Amino acid sequence: MEVSEKKAVKSIAIIGNPNVGKSSIFNQLTGLNQKIGNYPGMTVDKMMGYFQIGNKSFELIDLPGTYSLYPKSEDEIIAQKVLNGIGMEKPDAALVVLDACNLERSLLLGTQVLDLGIPMAFVVNMKDLAEKRGLSIQTFALYKELGVPVVLTDARNNQGLEAVRDLLSNDDFAVGKPFYELGFAELLEEVRLKFSFETPYQAFQQLVFAGYDPMLDQERKQWLEDKARSHGFDSQVQQARETNQRFEKIKSTLSRTQSSGSGKPKKFHATLDKVLMHPVWGYVTFLGIMLLIFQAIFAWAEAPMDLIDGVFAALSGWVSDTLPPGVLTDLLSEGIITGIGGVVIFIPQIALLFGFLAVLEDTGYFSRVVFLMDRLMRPFGLHGKSIVPLISGMACAIPGIMATRNISNTKERLITILVTPWMSCSARLPVYIILIGLTVPDEAWMGINLQAFALLVMYLIGAAFTLLGAFALKFVLKSQEKSFLMTELPIYRMPRWQTVLLTMFNKSKIFVLEAGKVILAISIVLWVLASYGPSGEMEAIEAEEKAMLENVVGEQKFELTNEFASRKLEASYIGILGKAIEPAIRPLGYDWKIGIALLTSFAAREVFVATVATIYSVGENVEDELTIREKLDKQVHADTGEKVFTRATGFSLMVFYALAMQCMSTVAVVYRETKSWKWPVLQTIGMTIVAYLGALITYQIWS
Amino acid sequence: MTATGLKINQTYEIEGISASPLMVRMMEMGVMPGKSISLLQKAPFKGPMAFLIEGNILALRIEEADLIQIKGS
Repeated sequence: MEVSEKKAVKSIAIIGNPNVGKSSIFNQLTGLNQKIGNYPGMTVDKMMGYFQIGNKSFELIDLPGTYSLYPKSEDEIIAQKVLNGIGMEKPDAALVVLDACNLERSLLLGTQVLDLGIPMAFVVNMKDLAEKRGLSIQTFALYKELGVPVVLTDARNNQGLEAVRDLLSNDDFAVGKPFYELGFAELLEEVRLKFSFETPYQAFQQLVFAGYDPMLDQERKQWLEDKARSHGFDSQVQQARETNQRFEKIKSTLSRTQSSGSGKPKKFHATLDKVLMHPVWGYVTFLGIMLLIFQAIFAWAEAPMDLIDGVFAALSGWVSDTLPPGVLTDLLSEGIITGIGGVVIFIPQIALLFGFLAVLEDTGYFSRVVFLMDRLMRPFGLHGKSIVPLISGMACAIPGIMATRNISNTKERLITILVTPWMSCSARLPVYIILIGLTVPDEAWMGINLQAFALLVMYLIGAAFTLLGAFALKFVLKSQEKSFLMTELPIYRMPRWQTVLLTMFNKSKIFVLEAGKVILAISIVLWVLASYGPSGEMEAIEAEEKAMLENVVGEQKFELTNEFASRKLEASYIGILGKAIEPAIRPLGYDWKIGIALLTSFAAREVFVATVATIYSVGENVEDELTIREKLDKQVHADTGEKVFTRATGFSLMVFYALAMQCMSTVAVVYRETKSWKWPVLQTIGMTIVAYLGALITYQIWS
Repeated sequence: MTATGLKINQTYEIEGISASPLMVRMMEMGVMPGKSISLLQKAPFKGPMAFLIEGNILALRIEEADLIQIKGS
């Protein structure tokens, strides 16, 4: 059964240079039928798509965009492994997408794939641009030279894709004529036999990749290194030789198969670059665009987020009203549904941010930003590409961390991931607003509103720690990898809306399915800790509440409920934990009630406000922040009679929330992006220590 | 001279690339001996430089641009 099923679906790998329109073709063929998976041991996602032509089923594997099959990053390692079927099933054929305007360069990768001996076909994309530049490509001549079918497309405008579908459905793939003349016949034959490859070029690739493949076992790696050494095979020299000779041969092939025009981009693009990359106007434009994006995220994400919040609250209420009361109903309504709600609530922000980023990327503007920002980011151990995650971090660290994907240098990417949560995200805002309202007078000093100034200071603290943290990590993290910038600045094009929408959809899906699991698990644990306590104490309080509630009516009933909510939280496991950590947080100016809020708000920073409202029996879900503020202002320490929310405590709390992790969703997304628990755990511990020290110093200064 | 010394918007020819681990990476992006090259933009404070090489624009840091040898100077 399984065998016949496998035979029925043909698997095709699609590969090409960056910016060649590979994803256009992938999206046009597969539509929404895409799946994101993992390559074992790798952080790069595996993109798969499924479609049918007539009664034939196809599976398309979208390999990362690369310029060659040389080991430089995970992208190339994955491409090499997939195309040779190392450690995974080998695809039945490969579709290599070439750039019609840059045939010479794209054929470097193209002929490398050809020499691997896999059945393949070339898709020459962006024929519209080539025509505009006066290039004409003779596909038949190219076919005769290389021995594999060649199809011309303009995938952006959906042209030529019928020919690609025909090619797939007729199974017109062919094994090309060997292109590159290899030396080292004896060595390559030995490697070929040892790894049971089909072509000598596969053996050559295995030798070149030997030191980079994390999945290759030590014995084989050693064997390859010994063999290379004894035959005088130097990987670097061989790569340079191969590149040179391939280009020479490609050039002579192309001179016979294409008539070349000017090959230069239009004036319009140059003029646009004069402004967008200008030492002054370039930055002004970038700042303007970023402001616009933020404005849009804040303005457009709020309504759907409120809606999601409302729907899940209603659903949770409906479940607890409809199902018979009991532990399971509570778990479902307060644990699971609220937990899922806490995941789904992020979708509007993630989708919007990635929608905008996809537009910036697709138009070609994004690489100009990298060009402009690289110099400013480098002293901090960051890359020009780090700017987008950091700025996104001001809305929410989660999409920001997910946007670190395209930073190819491992160390720079890791630093960006680790410091992005220090940027002041929108979840800190409710905490700041409550605490500033409590501790900073609403007065003007030299025309500046002190409360607004305090808020600005909090944002600056976040930004300063982000950069300082990155600077410190630059020296702590070790890396052999050399940082470099070698980015193509593609010509400006209109964004493809299909690509933009698919990016929004896929990023949201990744977040919900992968980070969502962790978030749901942590929120259920937190809920259990906050709802249950040891040895029947909770039941005693509940019984007392029930008895007392029967005797009161109206307003009193509301206050009584609030009081009991506070007592229940105090008696819960998390309440006990809050009391347990009191000695540790006393130097920061916090009592055990704030301790409980610190623990519950690990779910998300804004939970602090709700917990504080509950524990000081203000009543949950108080929309009116003035009520909370007034009540909190009256709180005094039980033992000393001093005010709880003094200026020192307030400031100390704000600094704590500025610097502590306090967001399980970020932890989950860091886990998902680094594919290990090491970094999120270290990050959380590190941020908590810095936050503790920062809060301690703040409290000592102001008290 | 290397590509760091180019005058803006003048066309030069690439003579070669200095030996470095980045050499192959440059070659595969089309930075090859014999190709025409011109400088389009420089980012401020000695930031990256943008070159037009055979119809494609490539952004390089100064360290990388310094690896490109220019003919005739």
